Amino acid sequence: MKRSTIKWLVAGGVVCAAALALSIWYAVAYNDSRLVAPMDFSTYVFRPQDLPMLCSGGLLVVYVLALFVTVFRWAFRAKAERHATSYTRTVSPWLGLLGFLGFLGFLGFWSYGVNGSVAPFIFFAFFGFFGFFYEGRLSHTFMDERYKENAARAQLQALRVSFALEVIALVVLGQRRFGGNLDYTLIAMMIVLSLSVALALFLSEYLLYRYDHDEQMEEGGE
Amino acid sequence: MPEFTCRLKQFRQAKNLTQEQLAALVGVRRETIMRLEKAQYNPSLKLAVDIARAVEAPIEEIFLFP
Repeated sequence: MKRSTIKWLVAGGVVCAAALALSIWYAVAYNDSRLVAPMDFSTYVFRPQDLPMLCSGGLLVVYVLALFVTVFRWAFRAKAERHATSYTRTVSPWLGLLGFLGFLGFLGFWSYGVNGSVAPFIFFAFFGFFGFFYEGRLSHTFMDERYKENAARAQLQALRVSFALEVIALVVLGQRRFGGNLDYTLIAMMIVLSLSVALALFLSEYLLYRYDHDEQMEEGGE
Repeated sequence: MPEFTCRLKQFRQAKNLTQEQLAALVGVRRETIMRLEKAQYNPSLKLAVDIARAVEAPIEEIFLFP
C-alpha cells in the first residue's frame, strides 16, 4: 500500500474519531444524550440538535466503507502482483505475534456473564495469525511447480481438518449436549467455528512450511 | 519409496552444470533439482521436457520408469 494512502487513511480515522468524540460530547452536554444512550427508534423524531451525531455517524460509515474498499483493492492487487512475479509475498515472521490476540476470545466468557454478549468469542479466530510465523519464514520464495504443489497439498489438508472439526461439532451440538440450552449451544458453535477458521489459517501455513522445510533438511547442498 | 529412477545427476555433471545453474535454466528452485535427482519428486511433463532440453539428453534416459 502506498505511504500516501496510509497517511490519508490514518488522517481520515483521526478526523472521524475527533468528530465522533465532539458530537458525543455535544449530545451528552446539550441534547439529553440522544443517539448516544440507548433509545427507542420506533418513536424517533428528528431534531436539529441531532445533526452533529447524525453527521459524525454518517462520516464514520463512509470512512469504514472507504477503508474496506481500499484494503480489499490493495489485497487483490497484491495477490495479482504475487501471481505475476511468482514469488511469495514478503511478510515479517513477527506478525505471528498477532496470534496472541486469540486469547482475547476468553473475554467472551466474562462478557457473556456481564451483559450476555458473545461477540468476543470471535477473537479465537485470531489464533490463526500464528501462521504468519511460518509464512514469514517462506517470505519472498520463488514459487516453482513443487512449491505450488506443496501449497495446494497443505491447503487441502488444512481445509480437510477444519471441515472435519466443523462436521463433528455440528453433529455433537445438534444432539443438544448442553441440556437444551440454546445460549450455550450458540457459544460452543461460535467457539468451534472461530477455532476451525484459526486452524485452517494456521495449518495451511504450517504444513506448507513443514513440507518445504523438511524436504530441504534432508537434502545436501552442492 | 521412489516410483522411478532418475539419472539426472550424471547427465547434469556431464554438462558441467551445477544444480543452481540447472535450476535457473529450467525455472525452478535448487531444492527441486535436488529432490528430482533423488527421485523424490515426480516432475510435470513440462519440467521433464525442459530438463531434457537443458542437459541435451532423451527424456526417457533421464527418468527411468519401471
